[in-house]
Amino acid sequence: MKTETDQSQNIDMPEQVERALVERIDKDRIELPVLPQVAGRVMALANDPSADAARLSALIHQDQALAAHILRVANSPAYMPRTPIMSLQHAVAMLGVNQLSEIAVTISLKSSAIQVPGYEADIQQLWRHALASGAYAKEIARLRRYNVESAYLCGLLHAVGKPVVLKAITTIATELHIPLTPSVVLAFLDSYHSRIGIMIAAEWSLPSQVAEAIAYYWVYEQAPSHRHEAMMTCLADRLATYILVPDSFNDSTLREHSVFTDLNLYPDDIDTLLSLKEKVLNLVDTMAQ
Amino acid sequence: MSTVIHYDIVVIGSGPAGQKAAIQGAKAGKHVAVIEREPAVGGSCVYRGTIPSKTLRESALQLDRMKRSSTTLDMQVPPNLMVSTLMRRLDEVVKSHGDYMMNQLTRNGITLFHGRAKFLSDSLIEMLTVDGMKQTLTADTIVIATGSRPRAPIDIPIDHEHILDSDSILSMIYLPRSLTVLGGGIIASEYASIFAALGVQVTIIDRADRPLQFFDAELVRTFVQSFEQAGGRYCGGQAVRDVRWDGISQVMTTLQDGQVFASDKMLVALGRQANLEDLNLSATGLTVTEKGALAVNEHCQTAIPHIYGVGDLIGPPGLASAAMEQGRRAVCHALGLPEGHSSGIPIGVYTIPEMASIGIDEAAARTRYRGVIVGRARFNEIARGQISGIHNGLLKMVADPTGEYLLGVQIVGEGATELIHVGQMALQHAATIDSFVENIFNFPTLAESYRVAAFDIVGQRQKRLASNAA
Repeated sequence: MKTETDQSQNIDMPEQVERALVERIDKDRIELPVLPQVAGRVMALANDPSADAARLSALIHQDQALAAHILRVANSPAYMPRTPIMSLQHAVAMLGVNQLSEIAVTISLKSSAIQVPGYEADIQQLWRHALASGAYAKEIARLRRYNVESAYLCGLLHAVGKPVVLKAITTIATELHIPLTPSVVLAFLDSYHSRIGIMIAAEWSLPSQVAEAIAYYWVYEQAPSHRHEAMMTCLADRLATYILVPDSFNDSTLREHSVFTDLNLYPDDIDTLLSLKEKVLNLVDTMAQ
Repeated sequence: MSTVIHYDIVVIGSGPAGQKAAIQGAKAGKHVAVIEREPAVGGSCVYRGTIPSKTLRESALQLDRMKRSSTTLDMQVPPNLMVSTLMRRLDEVVKSHGDYMMNQLTRNGITLFHGRAKFLSDSLIEMLTVDGMKQTLTADTIVIATGSRPRAPIDIPIDHEHILDSDSILSMIYLPRSLTVLGGGIIASEYASIFAALGVQVTIIDRADRPLQFFDAELVRTFVQSFEQAGGRYCGGQAVRDVRWDGISQVMTTLQDGQVFASDKMLVALGRQANLEDLNLSATGLTVTEKGALAVNEHCQTAIPHIYGVGDLIGPPGLASAAMEQGRRAVCHALGLPEGHSSGIPIGVYTIPEMASIGIDEAAARTRYRGVIVGRARFNEIARGQISGIHNGLLKMVADPTGEYLLGVQIVGEGATELIHVGQMALQHAATIDSFVENIFNFPTLAESYRVAAFDIVGQRQKRLASNAA
């Protein structure tokens, strides 16, 4: 499965599946994700007296759903922050490590994994893409001196809707006995993940930067308030695809995208970002294990 | 974009220095082009420096006033404000300033190129656009005004996330609870006092025993007192052994004497570095100084007569006001126009409280003259200072040993950067100390401090005369 929107254009999606999907979205019958990838490890770590906060923080950082859940909980009336908590670091600073562990364990206990039988590899690929996007978003933010923490979350969570769409359409297709080809699946993900992502962002009360990145990263010029975050996410998504799916497009196609000029990245800046490929891949390999 | 385009003047960089150079050239009827690497004009001053930091400062001052009013108005200031809330007006301010500067360039018929410039020879410049296209330009006069960027010491791991520099400090979304500031210069002192006023626990660490070494010591003491009253701490005479992010929530700073400071964030403000690397100066034969600056003479002219250097890249004072003047003067010199006379560059430091200086200060005057007379006016003894609740202001007038002529003025306190211009004009026109006594100032104003300080000098002068007569 590819993760690049360009390649899913002009694919006909089965009408019945699409109709059923839209109906479920409209009627709020979409099951939103509650799977922290590292939930089990967080639980184990939280129960380990020798575990330290650094390991917990690092674990939480690896999981987009858990990270978002923690932000949601940290921003909930139960903790009554004066202003929205924007990042895990902020959450650690505001709540303290113990409380954060508590939240993480609570979420872990309540969560159930999104599992899509037959699509385990695709889910893993989406996860790797999210990690690579987060890592690249940080590097872009560093280069342009934008906020690094929110950039990471934007990159990590920008396609948070994709696993949900995948689960929904495969469930619907199974119910309707309609086979789905990989290209059709891809078309569904690309067409609907932002819409679902916006629902998740609203449900979880994600920071406005992240919500806008999810909604507008592929049409960043329309982002009403956080255009920089949307642009960085667009580029991070593109770079993640480039390094994870080598046959997606070549170097010159990659550089043609207007997001580079819109972020005022000169050719040598692009070279700098591309030179980070191994670093990002190592990070993805480490975190995705 | 293959043919070579010729201009009378090409200015590289559109910050305060470049902009004024270009406008001076255009006003003189010359065909001028500006090459700017960023999509908008204005340079770091507009987007990462002066304008954003002063916008944040203004919010901090407003909050401070609200806090001080809270006893009578029962107002509460949220303890954990987001930086974006404090910077809400920034986009508007930056856009207005950028639009104004763009209009000024356009109105004067100046061609603006968006790209990076590099020298192919001492008269050929290649411009690379952001999408990789190239254009070659030539010019009779070339003004380099590429500015500077924060210096990044190799032993401090600036990640722009936890350990920030002055370019990335304002990318913070929320106010940290604590901030360690490395450095004791203008940028360090300004940000330290702004964040302290916003309720952040700020610690300045520097090698020097006091910040702002180039400034009058008495004024700096007043500033440090105000900073410490706001909850800040100045840790002077200290060298940093190690800085690291602990991986969880704190930046750990270890000093040579073993003290360890932990803070949510760190600002590294240990000077600035000229933006010269991308210019390929070797193609011109020009070299940089040991400190990485471009060497120029008093007309901002480099060793190659038709190439000028202006602004931060030629070294101190690194002030936008000085940069503008350098830009104007450089082009005047290149075109053989009179550069005009100035009484010197006023220094304005936008700490809380503000500090400003013109002419020579007390220490410099004492090394040059015997028996200088210094007049002082404290803002808490001025009606306007009392009314406005400004208790930490001080204006110093430095007079020659006769007590008749003004040598310099230094001020600390709100309004200092505005008030200093009275002293500047007085110096420009060689005004006597008595002229401050004989002229009427609006009442109540802080400018009245000049009159009070002048009276102080007159009083000391009379005592000295009486003593000499006896």
